[in-house]
Amino acid sequence: MTSPSALRERAEVEAARLPPLLARAEHLAGTVLLGEHGRRRAGQGDDFWQYRPAQPGDSRRMIDHRRSARGDQQFVREREWQIAQSVMLWVDQGASMRFASGDTLPSKADRARLLALALSILLIQGGERVGLTGSALPPRRGRDQILRLTEAFSHDDPTDYAPPEHRAMIPHARAVFLSDFLGDLGEVERALTKAADRGVRGVLLQVLDPAEESFPFQGRTIFESVGGTLRHETLKAGDLRDRYKARLAARRDRLAALCRVTGWRLSQHHTGDSAQSALLWLYRALDGGTA
Amino acid sequence: MTVLGGIGFSTPWLLLGLLALPILWLILRAIPPAPVRRRFPGVSLLLGLKDDEAVSDRTPWWLLLLRMLALAALIVGLAGPVLNPQQDKTGSGPVLIVLDASWAGAPRWGARMDLLDAYLAEAGRAGRLVALLSLTAPEGLNFQSADIWRSRLPGVVPAPWQPTEAQLQSAGTAIAEVEGGFDTLWLSDALAYPGRAPLLAALQARGALRVVETGQPVLGIAPVGFEDGAVQLTLQRSDPGPAREVTILAQGRDPAGTARVLVSLPTRFDDGATQVTAALSLPAELRARITRFEIQGQQSAGAMTLADDRLRRREVALIAGREDREGLELLSPLHYLKQALAPTADLLEGALLDLLPANPDVIVMADVATLSQAEQEALTGWIEKGGLLLRFAGPRLAASDMGRTEEHPLMPVRLRSGGRTVGGAMSWGEPKSLAPFSPGSPFAGLPIPEDVRVRAQVMAQPDPVLADRVIAALSDGTPLVTRKRLGQGQVVLFHVTANAEWSSLPLSGLFVQMLERLAVSSSAKPPEAGDLAGTTWRPVQVMDGFGVLREAANLPGVAGEALAGAPLGPDLRPGIYDDGERRLARNVLGVEAVLTPATWPDNVPVETLSGTPERPLGGPLLALALLLLGIDVIAALALGGRLMPSRGRIAALAAALLLTGLLVGLPDAPALAQEAPSAAETDFAIAATQELTLAHVLTGNAKLDDIAQAGLRGLSDTLFFRTSVEPAAPIGVDLERDELAFFPILYWPITPEQPRPSDAAYARLNAYLRSGGMILFDTRDANIASFGAASPNGRKLQDLAAPLDIPPLEPLPRDHVLTRTFYLLQDFPGRHAEGRIWVEAAPPGAEQIEGMPFRNLNDGVTPVVIGGNDWAGAWAVDRDGRPLLPVGRGFSGERQRELALRFGVNLIMHVLTGNYKSDQVHVPALLDRLGQ
Repeated sequence: MTSPSALRERAEVEAARLPPLLARAEHLAGTVLLGEHGRRRAGQGDDFWQYRPAQPGDSRRMIDHRRSARGDQQFVREREWQIAQSVMLWVDQGASMRFASGDTLPSKADRARLLALALSILLIQGGERVGLTGSALPPRRGRDQILRLTEAFSHDDPTDYAPPEHRAMIPHARAVFLSDFLGDLGEVERALTKAADRGVRGVLLQVLDPAEESFPFQGRTIFESVGGTLRHETLKAGDLRDRYKARLAARRDRLAALCRVTGWRLSQHHTGDSAQSALLWLYRALDGGTA
Repeated sequence: MTVLGGIGFSTPWLLLGLLALPILWLILRAIPPAPVRRRFPGVSLLLGLKDDEAVSDRTPWWLLLLRMLALAALIVGLAGPVLNPQQDKTGSGPVLIVLDASWAGAPRWGARMDLLDAYLAEAGRAGRLVALLSLTAPEGLNFQSADIWRSRLPGVVPAPWQPTEAQLQSAGTAIAEVEGGFDTLWLSDALAYPGRAPLLAALQARGALRVVETGQPVLGIAPVGFEDGAVQLTLQRSDPGPAREVTILAQGRDPAGTARVLVSLPTRFDDGATQVTAALSLPAELRARITRFEIQGQQSAGAMTLADDRLRRREVALIAGREDREGLELLSPLHYLKQALAPTADLLEGALLDLLPANPDVIVMADVATLSQAEQEALTGWIEKGGLLLRFAGPRLAASDMGRTEEHPLMPVRLRSGGRTVGGAMSWGEPKSLAPFSPGSPFAGLPIPEDVRVRAQVMAQPDPVLADRVIAALSDGTPLVTRKRLGQGQVVLFHVTANAEWSSLPLSGLFVQMLERLAVSSSAKPPEAGDLAGTTWRPVQVMDGFGVLREAANLPGVAGEALAGAPLGPDLRPGIYDDGERRLARNVLGVEAVLTPATWPDNVPVETLSGTPERPLGGPLLALALLLLGIDVIAALALGGRLMPSRGRIAALAAALLLTGLLVGLPDAPALAQEAPSAAETDFAIAATQELTLAHVLTGNAKLDDIAQAGLRGLSDTLFFRTSVEPAAPIGVDLERDELAFFPILYWPITPEQPRPSDAAYARLNAYLRSGGMILFDTRDANIASFGAASPNGRKLQDLAAPLDIPPLEPLPRDHVLTRTFYLLQDFPGRHAEGRIWVEAAPPGAEQIEGMPFRNLNDGVTPVVIGGNDWAGAWAVDRDGRPLLPVGRGFSGERQRELALRFGVNLIMHVLTGNYKSDQVHVPALLDRLGQ
């Protein structure tokens, strides 16, 4: 499952399903902050890019009257799309992510990597710089970076609940954290406040297994973490369900509060759901935050 | 077969297995299954959670109990239990079957006969001779083959009376005549009657005696009474058992003459009560049609009571001569009549011609002499159709010439003029008393009080027919009451006044009795023997033991005394009796009757008819054991957590139990609800004011409210990311309940079906608008009809906004500050792009200055913005920030959404900063940004 070539292939497939996303990259122009240098394509910016003939769908207000008045044809003046962003990813590689409640479900780590890589492909296709948090793989652009990211995502971390990597964050960059956030929330808080201090905004995507959401266990059970460091025995697992759900909801609320304070955005994704919707959300969330 | 506690066992030694149950108890306390190991990352959230203490490692006691019960049922079931084991009862020698055969046994007569038939069949197989003795119709004992008696069984019917003393005596004689011993089976009706003990002793002396009873209480209904305008029904039962519902049916004829149930009256014996009284209030017309009352489902003569004249309240019209004097009530000719008749009859008063169409039963005329021709004809016609005219004499009648020379049709006799006075100050002689009534008189048998004296009367002319017409006379033979038949009716004249002026007769009880005999009134109580003395009654219909009425045919008449008092028997059957004028019912139960259950000596075995045939219990017990073991399987699986497939069902069960618990605990809930609002209000205020909060009005349409909420969420997010306004999550506002002052703006989507707010809500809305709030009305219909026209949403908006304090409006002018508070905008699309929006009109004096792009409009933030572009729909995003609804088509649609969001931003900015951007100070910068 985690062989680099296979992972990359599947990520490419996932990314290839999103041609509409590419089309909507045009829409991105309307909301993305104007950056430092041009994107060499039409978009929202200050510098003139080109005149193009007006097409159906262009509002009349967009027509450049100075240019159009010279002839019978109507022209629209396009400006250069200017954007520059570094996006840093952190994908939880901890043992807790290597969990799937059923044979038909992918593990959480698998899904998180897939999403991260698909996002990377999209972003790099869009010309942005993508890398990992920490000093291991700083943001770069180009197809080779995809290969390096794929390579980096194929390493498992033996720690049970891995803390977020928050070193060497580039100021005013964007960040994407993918994890189940079942470990120590203090670490997450530290990472987010540090990011906020540096003006880094981003998104958190909590990837959970459906079983972790519904807790469908009954009877006498010994629960063990995937890494084996934690265990809990109960005689009636069914009785714990409501209290477990309450704790999960409380944790989510705390994450949401944290995001609200630091200007990040939070969403959940279940491995039982379609990866595409999560990818779409991630992509839009990165757009919206820049506007 | 061994019998233990009424249950026989075919293999009783198997019951010893029950002793092993305590040992099984120890063995069965199994440990639940070993735990399942599961890998689960969420374990970090589980740490520290404790199990309920109620859960133990041991098998829970109820499961153990279940298993023990299953085993016990198995053991007992295999021991072959039999309910009602039949003991061997066959005997030998002749047997006598004694039947009470009274009405009390009628309700279950069929069961009795079945039992008797089975017994006779058994006796026939055993070759025993049988004799049958009906105590209500005793005959000589005739020991015959049982088969002969079996063929005669259909002829054995219950009699509508209890065994009389004479019958018991003849039964005793019949027994005494038989020689030798015999066994006896007594089918008792479970009611006690006198003279039972000697018979019992005589039977016991001859051989073994067995008594069979129905085992069900005997129900009876006493004769109806009439009190307080309602029919009083009294039910009796022989046995003070548990509470029991009983329905009384009133049978009668409907107006079409068809026999049917007229009224059904449910009533109830209380626990331990032997008597219940029910009152039935009915219209007189309906009441008069009732022929009998019966207890539903009780086919016996005692459970039926016949209605007679007592139920029929007669209508009596009272007419007096003109009364000139007022206030002398005791002298009124009608006073005593009213007193005598009011308890038992319905009185009518008025003019004669007004009363006749009401067709009264009786018309009483007190001292009325002259009648007009029309009155006389009408009255005569009424009498000939069966009416009874009762006249009283008086001074006017005595002074009139009516019927002097020839007989007047409305007078029974000719009168001599003047009349006579006896025993007065100016006359000789003593006041006269009454002569005893002759046997042919309707008053025959009535006792005459000593103190009744007549001082004055009108005198009848001696005529050939006079003797026939006198029905009461004074001691000197002068007629006091005379009567004449006229057609089907009759005219009766009392030769005295109806008040106490001429005689003391109206003061005596005899007066009332005489009126009763004349059928002017009917008594509310059953007649006493004395009341009926000297009369003879002809049976019209008689009842049999089952309570079925049949024509009396040629049964002999009955003396009145006997009818009132004598016990029922072959000579006096219950039924309806007639004496020509009146109808009297003789019922099985008297008013005072009490149903006493029969008691038997201890040495007499008493069986109940309901004794069922023996029933083996082994099968049901084994089935029960299997069922319990099945439950045990499920329960054991559930305990071990292995019951995965039916988890949902268990959850549903738990939910149901929880719900039940909630319902049980519900009485406490209102108290909590009383406390809640203040806390809720505080929470609401804190939530609304902690951060800037956008709000929308809850319309009651859930879908619309959701869209409004999502729209404001999208707008809040946009504001958060693009401006320094950072709103909290939007809130839906209930106009009736929530405080509005916390919100800078209310978004109010219009839907035609939303309810109109109350007056209090309008008061608060106006206060909100006056204190600087803004409402964005959104008709969401693209303003297709322009405002004021026929769009339903537009009409609804007009309706909703009419009570609001809204200034004059105008379409948004191009230089309005809304066009430039944050973004420079010229139109304000939502999901619909057309449609103007309306804001408060500019003051009349605002003139555009030459060279300035905007008028100087520094005052007044518009309190309302009205449009129809469905802005919330364009703003709406889901929780993850994705747009909910499509806007337009393709790329231009997204542009439209963007403009909608920009309008939202401008609007909020306008609300929050007022007309700040309208200040002319900004004009150069704005001109610069406009690029012109």
